[in-house]
Amino acid sequence: MSDVRADRDLVATVRELFRERCPHEVVTQAEADGAAPEKLWAEVVGMGLHLVGIPEEAGGSGGTILDALAILHAAGEQAAPLPLAETMLAAMILADAGAQIPEGALAVVPPTAELRVEGDQVSGAAARVPWARGAELLVGVVDGKAFTAPVEVTREGVDMAGMPCDDVRIDGTVVGDTAADLGLLGALARSAQLAGALEAASDLTRQYVGERVQFGQPVGRFQAVQQHVVTLAQMAAMASLSVDRAALATLRGPAPFEIKATKQVIDKNATVAARAAHQAHGAIGMTQEYRLQQLTRRLYAWRGEYGDEKQLALELGTKIAAHGKLHEVIVAGSEIIK
Amino acid sequence: MRLEATELTDDERALQQEVRSWLRKRLPVGSYPLGLGMSGEIDPEFSRDLGAQGWLGMALPTEYGGHGRTAVERLIVVEELLAVGAPVGFHWVGDRQSGPSIAKHGTEEQKRDLLPRIARGEVSFAIGMSEPDSGSDLASLRTRAVREGDGWRVNGTKIWTSGAYESTHILALFRTSEDKHTGLTQFIVPRETEGMSINKIPFIDGTRHFCEISFEDMYLPDSLRMGEVGGGWGQNTAELVLERGGVDRWMSVMPILENWATSRSVEGDAAAAADLGAIAARSWAFRGMSLSVARMVDEGKSPVTEAALIKEMATRFEQECTDIVARHYGRTPDLHSDDPHESLLARAILVSPSWSIRGGTNEILRTVISKGLNKR
Repeated sequence: MSDVRADRDLVATVRELFRERCPHEVVTQAEADGAAPEKLWAEVVGMGLHLVGIPEEAGGSGGTILDALAILHAAGEQAAPLPLAETMLAAMILADAGAQIPEGALAVVPPTAELRVEGDQVSGAAARVPWARGAELLVGVVDGKAFTAPVEVTREGVDMAGMPCDDVRIDGTVVGDTAADLGLLGALARSAQLAGALEAASDLTRQYVGERVQFGQPVGRFQAVQQHVVTLAQMAAMASLSVDRAALATLRGPAPFEIKATKQVIDKNATVAARAAHQAHGAIGMTQEYRLQQLTRRLYAWRGEYGDEKQLALELGTKIAAHGKLHEVIVAGSEIIK
Repeated sequence: MRLEATELTDDERALQQEVRSWLRKRLPVGSYPLGLGMSGEIDPEFSRDLGAQGWLGMALPTEYGGHGRTAVERLIVVEELLAVGAPVGFHWVGDRQSGPSIAKHGTEEQKRDLLPRIARGEVSFAIGMSEPDSGSDLASLRTRAVREGDGWRVNGTKIWTSGAYESTHILALFRTSEDKHTGLTQFIVPRETEGMSINKIPFIDGTRHFCEISFEDMYLPDSLRMGEVGGGWGQNTAELVLERGGVDRWMSVMPILENWATSRSVEGDAAAAADLGAIAARSWAFRGMSLSVARMVDEGKSPVTEAALIKEMATRFEQECTDIVARHYGRTPDLHSDDPHESLLARAILVSPSWSIRGGTNEILRTVISKGLNKR
């Protein structure tokens, strides 16, 4: 199989867009507003970025899952305060179910929500739904059926990064059957965002220790500080590569092993990297006026969503113990572990 | 630093299956002493058999008995060997780094003499780098080779050299001038050379593959010099990519993990299952990194920083895996147990600190990586 990659021009354009439009102040303002910056979101929608990875005939913007993940990676790098992953995921589910994709932002009902299905009616409640308020519709999957529900927020909240994360009541309707695994898709999307934030935290830290002077020299000259820089580069490189590999695996077929392994590894890397980045930065990294916390708070928020380090490890470990061949699984992944 | 994702081609996957089924026949379970990765047992017969399959010197040029294959293909063979703890000790160093280094820097005569024999698994190399006063600060080494007629007169001592006693050749780095980095030159020293004596240094686990090499007025004809006079440092640095970025840096404990994964102790123990899952996930991620570096080598790149970055964390991971299995073992494993997996675990506990020392200590690697990152 030849090595497929994300569209390089698209990636460059999107990175440039977020770099320009998501400076520190924009992210801070979004947090204060409890909403996405309208202009930026309009621009993203205008470019169709929120529907990349969905075929044009299904109402999407075309492109592959690799393109979609590269966009999320770029958004993660700039801590973009947008319901981009949520809208992409919801739209993918709707497209897969053969349903219409509405305009505007969408939110996703977490796969862990407790729901009742009667006929084509879905009811229940869901806690901590990212970007619920402000979304046009809630989209979820239950028992292989995709459903939509109007947004009915019962309690407004925010996640660790200060982004909307609300409790909702669900009174929805089935719109079609879907084979899509929302848990896995979500884990992959979060992994891409996490990897982006890891890359940015790594770059920011390397840059900072090269400029910050103490004891008459940049602190990055000290081996003890270099160690943090190296740790960050390792965590980020492993994360980005793993997302790309998991994405390639999905092109061959269902890739539960690769996706879970990716998210499991990245969740742990996020923890290690956040510590290293803050330690290397010293006090300034702990302040809201400096960029780092916008990245590390996203690492904390995302690492616990769509499976956390322990849950994913347990799921993987239980299957491997039942299968009994560790090396074969590491090499062949989802071809032998479902 | 971004590493490119890569997948195996159909041909590469076919090779994997071929190696796997050959190994099943050649090394039936229980028929050989299990090894810890690259420090697997020394078994010249196994090395020759592997050579006969065309799985040694794979990336060496065909005109010198090599197989003109890729770094990725070599990785595929190597990971199957390490997964079963195969006795790779005899050919390991020659196949991994001395062969490619000779192919790149050796004279025509050296290539004709040595490369076919490396590919056939008939010769065994040891790397003579560290000295009593030069470990991580390799540029400070003092063993001197002084010009004398058409050759060189060598005096000094190398130490902590793995596998020197059983080797047929030592690829050694000697000081040929006072210039710190450009005063180092590589030589290929045959084992039987007069003036060289090798003593074993018992290792922490009781094995005796660690050595000290003394050179007393050893005379080497200039034909044994490899590469330019003063070119040793640069040649050595390039060699490190081959030494550092491979799967051998996280697979030492694979036979132990494999045995543990299938043991009763994981079933029904959520803590153990979660540890196993985390190990599998991270192994998968490391494998991707090693594959990516191997593809870069095949594209003619020299990913020195990438290889160091992988080795620094992969060796810590192997150590952590050892600790995890030990933690779940329930008692102290017995080094002299009749159960080969138990004694292997005990050995892993004892020798695992060496993994983040050999091939460049983690502290030095961090400096290498840090410098590399800042150059980007």
